[in-house]
Amino acid sequence: MKGSTWHGVAVVGSLLTAVLFGILLGDLVWQGLPQMSLGFLWRTPSELTSFGGIGPELLNTLVMVGAASAITIPLGLAAAILRVEYGARPGFLLVFDRMRYTLLSLPTIVVGLMVYEWFIVGLRWPLSVGAGVIALAVVNWPFVVDVSVAALKGVPDSFREASLALGGTKYLTLLRVVLPSALSALVSGLGMAIARLMGESAVLIFTAGINVSRHWGWSAPGETLAVHLWYLRTESVAPHADAQAAATGVVLLLLVGLVLYLTQKLAHWLKPMDA
Amino acid sequence: MTVHQKNLRTERVQHALFLAAAALLIALGFAFWGTLGWGALRFFLRHGLNRTILGLRYHPIRGQFGLLPFIIGSLAVTLIATVLAYPLALSVAITATMVLPRRWLSGIRQAVASLAAIPSVIFGWWGLAMVVPLVRNLGGGTGFSVAAAGMVLAAMIVPTLSLLAIHAAMRVPERWVEGSLALGATPDQTLGRVVLRSIRAPLVEAGIVAVGRALGETMAVQMVIGGQTFMPRSVFAPGSTLTSEILNDIGLLPPGALGHHVLDVMALLLLLAMYGLVLLVERIGGREVG
Repeated sequence: MKGSTWHGVAVVGSLLTAVLFGILLGDLVWQGLPQMSLGFLWRTPSELTSFGGIGPELLNTLVMVGAASAITIPLGLAAAILRVEYGARPGFLLVFDRMRYTLLSLPTIVVGLMVYEWFIVGLRWPLSVGAGVIALAVVNWPFVVDVSVAALKGVPDSFREASLALGGTKYLTLLRVVLPSALSALVSGLGMAIARLMGESAVLIFTAGINVSRHWGWSAPGETLAVHLWYLRTESVAPHADAQAAATGVVLLLLVGLVLYLTQKLAHWLKPMDA
Repeated sequence: MTVHQKNLRTERVQHALFLAAAALLIALGFAFWGTLGWGALRFFLRHGLNRTILGLRYHPIRGQFGLLPFIIGSLAVTLIATVLAYPLALSVAITATMVLPRRWLSGIRQAVASLAAIPSVIFGWWGLAMVVPLVRNLGGGTGFSVAAAGMVLAAMIVPTLSLLAIHAAMRVPERWVEGSLALGATPDQTLGRVVLRSIRAPLVEAGIVAVGRALGETMAVQMVIGGQTFMPRSVFAPGSTLTSEILNDIGLLPPGALGHHVLDVMALLLLLAMYGLVLLVERIGGREVG
């Protein structure tokens, strides 16, 4: 159409972006696939041969992200409920909002440094799964608050008014009206939060460490998939470290994709019919 | 006790718990400010403020802690990334909302959101596999450079930026577009003078969020920037950023070592930058606060 040059430019830019990500993901899969096997998923990593695996890293990723989410989902939801449903003095809310936005955008390496100074140096914890869980929780908390606030704000005020007018208390309104209506958006937002946490790495290097132990435990070192990928690509001397890094990346992406897919499906299923 | 009284009592307990959670988050934030501020203060008392922030030489063993190369490095990679990523993200948003059929929009949004969840180490991996060799061919040297870091970051922030731009573009009422076209404006004129104009504030806010992500990224940058501690002479020279230098130095400057607290100074600079961005977004008014 005449006079739509810029629309054409935008289409070209979009194609360029699509090609860029196609190449990025294609190359990762192309280089990683030769290393992929079922054994790769459960073997322990090896510095000496190209027959290492990512078993402990896979376990650590699942356990640490799970434990961190178990801490942050209740804490984040509670803070969000205060923000949206209960409110407080304006000064308190202003400080709360500035603090959560600052923590949300804070580089995760800074969070890592703090957890390192508080727990590893201050409390003399070992570089461990436990310290890694704390670090992940600090990173995740403001994110959970953010998605929870968005989900709660999506519930129309008329729902709350109807419940209160019928004699429901604030708490019952929250429990029986607001939370069920927000559940779908909440699940989808929390899925994003968990997916983001799985790829987190900067915060973990000096809290969970870049090793795995033969014996799993909360105080054993807890390298995750994302950290392992970084380690393989920067410090490892193992043969075919590149390809192993790519294969680790493919597994990590599949895991992130699985979390997103399942939570989106669940969110869709939970969506109220009339909404 | 009646059921109602019981409910009211539960409600008070609940309220206290919610308040405690919010207060704990604020306390966590203050703990960051306090720890970093105290560490940085001790460092400045010993090494001087100007010599640290404006110093050009970083050599912990000789007691030189000039951070300017890292500050410039952080600003340079952020600038490169934002300048490269913004046009692409805007293109995606325009294509998704104004060119392609509306029924594709939710699918596109979901795809872009999934891309935004790609872990940063994977961008770092891609940077090593493709961007560093590309820069090596373009600009000579090893390829590990400020330019490579900027390009990797650009790819990393495109999905987030596109998503925010799409959300902004979706806010423009269909009627405005139709009205503009009906008055005889060409699609381009409608795009420039109605659509983009009406969402200036959210677009600027999206840019600030992107700047925050680029400034704060550690892993992808550390993998491709080369980790040189002196001022990069060009964009094709290796350098370092505040984030990548913290990662490199935590192991080298353990607590008790001379200059350990320079890490706190670098982290405090990043914290201040993020707080500044938060206040900026607040000022623009795209986001409600308080």
